[in-house]
Parts: sequence; C-alpha cells; structure tokens
Amino acid sequence: MNIADAAKRIDGTIVAGIGAAEGEIQGGYASDLLSDVMANSREGDIWVTMQKHVNIVAVAQLNSLAAIVLVNGRAPEPDTLARAEEMAVPIISTPLQAFDVIGILYGLNIRGRRPV
Amino acid sequence: MFMVDTHIHTCLSPCAELDMHPAALIDAAVGAGLDSIAVCDHNSAENAGAVQRAGRAAGLAVIPGMEITSAEEVHILGLLPNLESALALQAKVYRSLPGRNDENTFGMQVVVNEFAEVLGFNEHLLAGATTLSLEAVVAAIHSVDGLAVASHVDREGFGIIGQLGFIPPELPLDAIEISRRMPLTRARETYAPGGERSILCASDAHDPKDIGTAATYMLMEQATLQELRWALAGEGGRTILGGGRPMEDLALHILDIAQNSLEAGAATIEIRIWEDPAEDRMTIEVRDNGRGMDPETVKKVMDPFFTTRTTRKVGMGLPLLAAAAKAAGGELTVDSKPGSGTLVRATFQHGHLDRAPLGDIETTLMVLLAGQPDRNIYFRHRIDDLEFELDSRDFQTADIDLSSPIGLAILREAIRKGESGLRVFKYGRRTV
Repeated sequence: MNIADAAKRIDGTIVAGIGAAEGEIQGGYASDLLSDVMANSREGDIWVTMQKHVNIVAVAQLNSLAAIVLVNGRAPEPDTLARAEEMAVPIISTPLQAFDVIGILYGLNIRGRRPV
Repeated sequence: MFMVDTHIHTCLSPCAELDMHPAALIDAAVGAGLDSIAVCDHNSAENAGAVQRAGRAAGLAVIPGMEITSAEEVHILGLLPNLESALALQAKVYRSLPGRNDENTFGMQVVVNEFAEVLGFNEHLLAGATTLSLEAVVAAIHSVDGLAVASHVDREGFGIIGQLGFIPPELPLDAIEISRRMPLTRARETYAPGGERSILCASDAHDPKDIGTAATYMLMEQATLQELRWALAGEGGRTILGGGRPMEDLALHILDIAQNSLEAGAATIEIRIWEDPAEDRMTIEVRDNGRGMDPETVKKVMDPFFTTRTTRKVGMGLPLLAAAAKAAGGELTVDSKPGSGTLVRATFQHGHLDRAPLGDIETTLMVLLAGQPDRNIYFRHRIDDLEFELDSRDFQTADIDLSSPIGLAILREAIRKGESGLRVFKYGRRTV
C-alpha cells in the first residue's frame, strides 16, 4: 500500500512531503518516545505518534521511514512542517486517535516488524 | 568555590515528600555542605519565596526556579534571577497548563511559608504538561532573564533525549543536567566530548535525604544567577570545576578529606590512589602536614553520631569513607598526631560489588588546585603499571597562574590527558 492510499483510509490529510506520497509502506511502528523510534523502527515503516516537534523529521529521515502520522488532529509545528517539506518526509495529520489508526493500518496488512 | 545543587523540589510538587518544607530542606542542604541551592518545583514557583527566606536565615543562597514540562513532555529547568521573574514565568506557565490536580492520584501540592505553616493547596495540575513547545519554554525562560537547563538528560522519561531522540541542535539551552544515575565522566564523553555543553550535576531531590546527593562545583564570586550564567559560559574567571555524587563517588570523598586537611592548615597535601585489579585491591591515601589531631579528636571525627548533617563541617567525610571501605571488604585507618599531620588510608576490594565508583578525579583536582593556588598539592593515580602524577609545584615552576582562565584550561587538559591515559590499556579500553 502506498502512503497516499493509507492516508485516505485513516481520514488523514497529507500536510507535508506530498511529493514522496507515492512511496510504499513496508511496515508500521508506534511510539511517542523518539529515542525508542530511533532504536526500533525500520526502513519503510509508517510511524504513528503524538509528537509534533521538529525532531520527528530527523528521526524519520535517519531511519528512512515511509511517513509520519500525527494522531488526534494534531498539526505539525511550523518548523516541523518546513523541515518535512525540505527533507521530503510525508506527514499525515488525522483526527483519529492512535488506537484506531493502528487498527485500520493493521487491517490493511501493515505489520510491526522486529527491529534489525 | 561553591558547591551547588540546582534542582530541589518542595512539598509543592505532588510527587515530593510532605516533609520537603523550606526549613527542613534548608537544614538538609546546610548539612550536606552545600553553599547554594535552586528550588525547582514542577510548573510552579509558589514555594520559592519561602525557601529563599528560610535560606537567608541560615545564610544559604537560594536561586528561585521552576521545572517546566513542555508539550513534548520534556522537563526544562528555568533558573531565575529573582522572585519577580519567577512569578512572571509562573503566570505564563499557568496560562498554558490545563487541568486540575487530583490529590488522591498525584499527591498533595502544599503551599507553605518558611515556618512550615500550610498556606493552602495549589489546584493546578502541576504533574501535567504545558501546551508550550520546548522552544517556547526556553524562550519564556530567557524572556525573564533566566537560564534554561535540560533536566536529567540521562533519564528516558521526561528527559530531552528520551523524548526527542537527541537534543535539537538549534535549541539555545544554557546547560544540561545529569541525574545521580550517571557518572560525570561518562556524561562528558556522551554529551559533550568536545566540551560543547556545560553539565550540571543535581540531585532532583524529592526527599530531604536526597538533597546534595549530586552537586556541581563552581568557581564563582558569589551564588547569584549572574555568576552562574558566567560560570556556565566560562566567562570572567568563573567556571564549572566539576561535579558528581558527594555521598557516593570516592573522588568526592577524597576531596572532602583534603578540604579537612586545608582547614587543618596543611601547606602540603598528598593524594595517592593505587588500583590493582589483578590483586583485587584498591588503596586511597590522603596525607597532609596540617596541625594533626589527638587520639580523642580522631575518635570524634570517626564517630558517625558526631557527624550528623548539621555538623558536617567537622568532617562528615571520614565516617562516610569508612562505611564505603567496609562495604567493599576494606577498612579505613587514620594516623594522626598533633603537630605532625594526618594520614588517612582507605582500602577496598577493587572488584567488590559494593565498591563505590571512583567518580571524577578531575573535579577533585580542579577544586583543590584552582581553589587553593597557595597550597602544594601532589596527586598520584596508579592502575597496574600505569601512572599519572600531578604536582601543583610544577605549575608554580612553569609560572602558570591556576586562578586565570588559561591556567584553568591547562590544568583541566593535563588532568584529562593523565586520567584518560590510565584507561587506555593493551586490551583496548577498560573501565575502572
């Protein structure tokens, strides 16, 4: 499944990095501790989080994540948005809460994977 | 030289003990030998004034502060120039702090005066997070001329690195703080290998017994925020000499004993550390040519009862070091005669599970040499067949003024080189 399709299924809006929204999602990860995401997420993961600080873009970039999903209707901070555009990291904002987002993505056969 | 604990909560913080009222807290701070403290409750400064007044009565400088929780759930200390700034910052924080406290869930938030009388209960959800971003919190602190310090960066929960993966490079922090869990030596390697950040060691005390269990040693003229600002920036001859855990790190026990020697009028102090892991032995010696003690005084300073917190100045160090040696299968002996100086020797089983860590020798030497340029201080640290020697007389001979910024930098470099040289071994790095 590609990022744009997944965004629709979770009622999300792609607020940044739309140019990279054709990318394929290979797995999923959910956490609000960025140190944990750095340690345990994998390339191609769609990452579900509450955090909207600019550091999320760097973490996504570092681990080559497919996209970031901000739940509960949270919008990225302005510098997060700017950095995500610059780095072409897709950010999806959705009104749904994390539990539902992850449930829907799971139903689309997106799975968590063991860290490398 | 000032020994400062920059992170102490009061009974206003819902997670702190109720006996953390200003007078008790100041008592404990004085007992721990601290010269100054900063009082930092979660998202509030309502007890700061009372602690300041209690401190004034005891001759202890109190810097008002606040530990603000950002929207990312990162804890940031704001250390502030005065009470007015603290209250201005508090107003800003309260406007961005949703929710009301539930005492049964989070604990009581007691507003008190310096006489331990309860004035009321704070109703804000102080345990909660503000809606202010990290950048906004730092900006708010700076807007009232405060210093912004990232709290306990070594902790996953509420620490900036745990929450955000790394310290945002653009964030204008004035310092980072490490908790009691992390030795300063490791913190330097991890967070400031090129000396790019100032590191504060602080207790984050929630209980009176925790006060002073971590502290920073600063070269300043007096304990004010402006002086602290200069020390963090290394300006005007002010500097951070080091830090650590005075009740635990052997290096700080050594410092404490050497300071007793200074008080005994010693012109020369010799510190020797032998580490012999192969023989499972470690010996620490502090020898001075001070006035010495008669047997009765020796007995007194060895008596833990005599050295309750309020009488630390008489030498809380010896019973503590004796306990540390005993716990590690060793012992402490004191050899002293009036007029012929004192020799303190502590032995340990090097690999004993309960052997306290050596801690940061750099702090010990920086405090002693920079603080007492007129005394002779000789230091030798030997591990197996490797040795590091430092003699303050060599600096005098080379005409290096240890109270000048350049002198301090040369001294620091010499200690770092010498100590790290001991840790490089034929099998690679080793930990001692």
